Amino acid sequence: MYGLGLLKGLGVSLKRFWMPKITQKYPEVQPDLPQRSKGSFKYDKDTCTSCELCSMACPNGVIKVEWHKDESGKKRLDRYRMNLGHCLFCGLCVEACPTTPKSIDFKTDFALGCWRKEDIYRIWTKSYPAAEAVAPVMAPAATGSPAAAGSAGGASGSTGVASGAPEGGN
Amino acid sequence: MVGFLTTIFNWAQGILGLPATSLADALPWWDILWAFIYFVGAVILLIINVIMLIWIERRAAGFFQERVGPNRVGPLGLLQTVNDTIKLLGKEWIMPAAADKLIYLIAPLLIVTISVTMYGLLPYGPGITPVTLNVGILFFLAISSVNTLSVLMAGWGSNNKYSLLGGMRTVAQIISYEIPMALSIIGIVMITGSLDLGTIASSQAHVWNVFIQPVAFVIFVISALAELTKSPFDMTEAEQEFVAGYHTEYSGIRFTLFFMGEYANLFSMSALGVVLFFGGANGPFLPPWVWFIGKTYVFILFMLWIRWTFLRIRVDKMMKFNWKVLIPISLANLLLTGVGIKIWQAATGAIKW
Repeated sequence: MYGLGLLKGLGVSLKRFWMPKITQKYPEVQPDLPQRSKGSFKYDKDTCTSCELCSMACPNGVIKVEWHKDESGKKRLDRYRMNLGHCLFCGLCVEACPTTPKSIDFKTDFALGCWRKEDIYRIWTKSYPAAEAVAPVMAPAATGSPAAAGSAGGASGSTGVASGAPEGGN
Repeated sequence: MVGFLTTIFNWAQGILGLPATSLADALPWWDILWAFIYFVGAVILLIINVIMLIWIERRAAGFFQERVGPNRVGPLGLLQTVNDTIKLLGKEWIMPAAADKLIYLIAPLLIVTISVTMYGLLPYGPGITPVTLNVGILFFLAISSVNTLSVLMAGWGSNNKYSLLGGMRTVAQIISYEIPMALSIIGIVMITGSLDLGTIASSQAHVWNVFIQPVAFVIFVISALAELTKSPFDMTEAEQEFVAGYHTEYSGIRFTLFFMGEYANLFSMSALGVVLFFGGANGPFLPPWVWFIGKTYVFILFMLWIRWTFLRIRVDKMMKFNWKVLIPISLANLLLTGVGIKIWQAATGAIKW
């Protein structure tokens, strides 16, 4: 019959009227995102080896890793900084990370809006306990060159300050 | 609202202990005052209706599309329209440099004036018709087609190609669809034997006209949608073709007035449909004006249901549909109605062959 399609269409839209709505009431009800959805980043500064592979893999230069070497020549992390304003969320840094579990990984927290420009940076700083910080300083002190102490701990300001105290004690 | 005012007025009369006639005799400007009260009542009704209608439209649109619609401002989003209106009132008035200034400024005022006039004609219930005219329906149709003029004025005055094209299309569309609408109404008038809206409404106390004149009802709904320039006949402001049709160049309060006029017309056209086909204010238990408003809102929801289901049809197909389908059908319906009335009169013995 001519015009039957119109009635069918009316039926479809009427059915839609009573169906449950797909809109999520966002701030009240948080969305149930899949496990692998790409939101913000989580970073584990304790498993990170400061290898900088993530920083090298990043196409936009988002990641900056600051580190210093301890007395055994091992890289020690000072600061891990991400400028999310330049981030593509491509995930190449996550792919490049050699540690298991990944030191840098995605989390499902997607609410990245911020009011101030400086809030767009994600910064993780690692500070070391005093005893550990003393150790690299004590070695140059034993050799008797106070200037070397400053250059050894120069990577991080806190280390430099910590290095001064034991010297004065001596 | 008018009923409410009437009640207050009657109560005041009772307090004063004066019959209405003596008061009217005592005060020569009584008619003017009464007209003013009716005018204020109609305007208040219009504003409340428009606020409700925009909310209903947006909510219903959301529901038809599996969304929820505006639900943030106020309970259930009821204050969303108020919010939007305040926003619109605060906007800058921008007038095109090459606009035809007088016409450009008058057009939005005219559309609201016409809406208020139409609100004044509707029978909200027995005794609460602001203006009772014995040619009410004729006047209603005449006034509602003046809408075309305001749309054309806006389109012409804006000096914008989109506005002008939108305005021209509207004129073609509304004038064409006036004919099947009037023809579908004539059937009702023939059955009722009156052009007065109140009489037409009260004559359906037992059987609604929609059961007597189903074809006329379908024609009425289609041409009412075209008259209101609602989808599937929203060629006037086809967003993909013209930016917004005739009100492209309007901003701020003038745009608000156009918007208000559009929704006010939606209410008055639906109210006309209720008066003609659904028994007007007749109904048990509840007061008549509640029945009237309730039926009108159900009718509006029906229109919205159609609106959010069908796609816009092409301009030439719309005109072809009108002239080649609707008008012949409505003429045939009119003929059958005439024959039916004569047969009914013969069967009941009202006329002798």
